[in-house]
Amino acid sequence: MKSSCESVIVLIPAKNEVQTVGKIIDEIKSKLSVTVVVIDDASTDDTIKIARTAGAIVLSLPFSLGAWGAIQTGLRYAAKHNFKIAITMDADGQHEADSIPILLNAIHQCDVVIGAYPQRGSLSRQVAWQLFRKLSGINLEDLTSGLRAYNSKAIKLLASKSATLLDYQDMGVLILLHSAGLQIVEVPTLMHPRSNGHSRIFNSWWAVSKYMLCTGILCLAHGKYGEKCRTK
Amino acid sequence: MSYQITSAILGLCLATIILWLIRRDRLHSRHGFWWLVVALGVMVLGVFPTFIDKLAVFFGVSYPPTLLFILGMGMILIKVINMDLHQSNLERKIRSLAQRMAILEGEKQDEDL
Repeated sequence: MKSSCESVIVLIPAKNEVQTVGKIIDEIKSKLSVTVVVIDDASTDDTIKIARTAGAIVLSLPFSLGAWGAIQTGLRYAAKHNFKIAITMDADGQHEADSIPILLNAIHQCDVVIGAYPQRGSLSRQVAWQLFRKLSGINLEDLTSGLRAYNSKAIKLLASKSATLLDYQDMGVLILLHSAGLQIVEVPTLMHPRSNGHSRIFNSWWAVSKYMLCTGILCLAHGKYGEKCRTK
Repeated sequence: MSYQITSAILGLCLATIILWLIRRDRLHSRHGFWWLVVALGVMVLGVFPTFIDKLAVFFGVSYPPTLLFILGMGMILIKVINMDLHQSNLERKIRSLAQRMAILEGEKQDEDL
């Protein structure tokens, strides 16, 4: 039985995910009647065509803005069309359509729900996350999960100008939500190992260093310690 | 040839190039003001290089060239930070523009179907 959720939009940022994106859209569409939007981050393969054939609305960026730039495009679309709840999912097959109802159940009591699967990180990632937790003062298990639900308050905040210069969906976004006083809740979900490709962040030493530096600076500037300096 | 003539020629040449660039509309007017000030500065210091010595005495700097370098580097630092601010602002605008374009195109596709 399909459950109907008219004001729910599912956002899937995709960059060259031709092998998995169609399957995910089909899975969502067969289980729920929601609007599915694929944000194409300047793919060079047939991602757009496949997503459109599968029945998703495709927002195609003229050049790559990175994962967060793509998600924000979707959130701006959601804000423009007055969707009440936005769900973000990865296009690489990590997340299951079955997780969506779990997120939807939890969102009524808070502003943001994160589908968490903290066991997935390697030791080095755990160390990095622990460091970011300390720096930012945000105590969540899974900081980088791309499986999230936002209510209209969170959509409005994240669609605003102040979130445009962020590069990743994780810490910067969490800090922004946290400092705006929005409530973030984690629910445990199941995730698959990526069926194709690899993490966009943790794939080369160069990218990792860049990510660590950017995020570290963000935490320092806006996190717990930054707040302390600003208030007194 | 005295060093004063050399410095005057250098200063006046630099000032002329900057003023020419502003006149030819190669520099956006918001940068134009900054460079006008720089042109004035090199002109004055080129023609009257002893000015920096007097300034150094006034500020209690015993070795005048240090004052020149510190002032010069300070100006460059301010300019570079200003450029990065401007650059970040442009980045924000370009990203928003790309997003808006993607949304509009997506909506149009959706209507056409």
